[in-house]
Amino acid sequence: MYGGGNVFEATKFDTLQNEDPVKMAEFEARIERGEKIEPNDWMPELYRKQLIRMIEQHAHSEIIGSLPEGTWITRAPGFRRKLAQMAKVQDEVGHAQLLYSAAETLGKSREQMLTDLINGKSKYSNVFNYPAFTWADSNIISWLIDAGAIVNQLANAKGSYGPYCRALDRICAEEAFHLKYGHDAVVHMATGSAKQREMIQAALNRWWTPIMHFFGPPDKMSTHTEILMKWKVKMASNDDMRQQFLDMYVPKIWELGLTLPDPNLKKNAETGKWDYTEPDWEEFKRVINGDGPCNAERLAVRRTAEERGAWVRRALLNPKSKYVKPLA
Amino acid sequence: MSLTSLDPRVTRLNLPEGEQPPVEAKPVLDQFETYETFHQKKEGTAYTYVGPVHAPNEEVAFLFSKEQYSRRAACTGMWVARTSHIMVTPYVGDGENVYDAIRTEEPTERSEQPEAYEIFHLKKRGKAHTHAGRVEATSYQEALQEAKKAFGDKGPIVNVWVVKSKHVFRNNEEDKDMWLTIPDKKYRDAVAYKVMDKITKYKEENKTTAVQ
Repeated sequence: MYGGGNVFEATKFDTLQNEDPVKMAEFEARIERGEKIEPNDWMPELYRKQLIRMIEQHAHSEIIGSLPEGTWITRAPGFRRKLAQMAKVQDEVGHAQLLYSAAETLGKSREQMLTDLINGKSKYSNVFNYPAFTWADSNIISWLIDAGAIVNQLANAKGSYGPYCRALDRICAEEAFHLKYGHDAVVHMATGSAKQREMIQAALNRWWTPIMHFFGPPDKMSTHTEILMKWKVKMASNDDMRQQFLDMYVPKIWELGLTLPDPNLKKNAETGKWDYTEPDWEEFKRVINGDGPCNAERLAVRRTAEERGAWVRRALLNPKSKYVKPLA
Repeated sequence: MSLTSLDPRVTRLNLPEGEQPPVEAKPVLDQFETYETFHQKKEGTAYTYVGPVHAPNEEVAFLFSKEQYSRRAACTGMWVARTSHIMVTPYVGDGENVYDAIRTEEPTERSEQPEAYEIFHLKKRGKAHTHAGRVEATSYQEALQEAKKAFGDKGPIVNVWVVKSKHVFRNNEEDKDMWLTIPDKKYRDAVAYKVMDKITKYKEENKTTAVQ
């Protein structure tokens, strides 16, 4: 699930001017032809850097995103839901593993990525800095955050970097269950007792802003990403993905008689696009920079897991091992 | 003050609150070395590359691969090879054949007796390497020449991986039942969730609310 709302760094064109023009032309022609880039190919530094950043953020989002849902395994109502929730969380951690390896093929070690996550140097999806108060919150994450991530991931799976595409193909195949599981859980609550409906509506209200944040700042505010689109690093603009999500899921929310906490949300008959109130982007910036309700807890939990497992890894390490980055 | 969470188990960890001093960089092999995994989707089909795992040795790599790559998809066999044991040719463009581009190189190391090598082909960039077959040779370079003779003319091949058969860790034939998934794990399949029935029923019963 979980990839989305990538924060791109401002494109620095001076770094492009140092690139070999002949190699650059070959590289761009390959992408233009629809061929994938593989790890040993020549690539511009900016391409490498932005892909590492994006895939790494996606991997961190998987591993951190499994925390709010993971805490609900023991409290999930009924044995079957516990099993399903457990299977989903296991999938997400598996996705992190696939993505870390894809980023690693570009030259950043998994050790370094995990260190950067704990030290707050690299980011993960902002939504996971919010708490899951009730079982209904967990259901909203399973359905709508996954849905948002699928919109993003299906787009990125058509990108230009081979290892990322391979990882995303596997990930998307597993997501089919997550989406149905999440939808089923929300429908169960929404069509249940008055109390259940009230819980799911409250959770939906709480999560609407983070969901709108999920796809990242509006295009007019975000950094220049044209070159990243040309190189098929970024496959759709933040606003386009948000529109696609609204198109697919708002009707599914409304058909359950649930409401969304934005009085301006409606499909504009003239433009064919959704009108909505911009979510608070100052809050987005504040939370992504560390000041959200759960940032400290998420990183502390991850840090503890790393620290407590360190002796096991040390004990298992074969002193003759030599590091080679994964092939593909 | 320690960190308070909605999850009592997290609260009980007594984690310090507030900003923490940065952790030191992890040691180089904290996450171990990598292994490349190939799976067989169906009895009798070629082994195909599925991805890497990090592990301290090949037995653990096999277990991790089984979890990672056969947990959710059909699988009838798995091969695992240490990344550093795989020789990789250059990549050529889609539609080309890498065997035409490879120059014969002098082997750096040669075995006295010929031994078996496994050959994997990538037919198109972005796809996965697939097992083409096995050759006998005394070096990686000779194995590549043998592979060219044996399977080099089968359409576009953009990249080749060569690995000694003895470096491929596989499951025993008699352990095949490890790939059987118990049938009551339906909750992991999308088809197990009949959402539409519930939605239709709800709409029928609440015609007035659903219209708004």
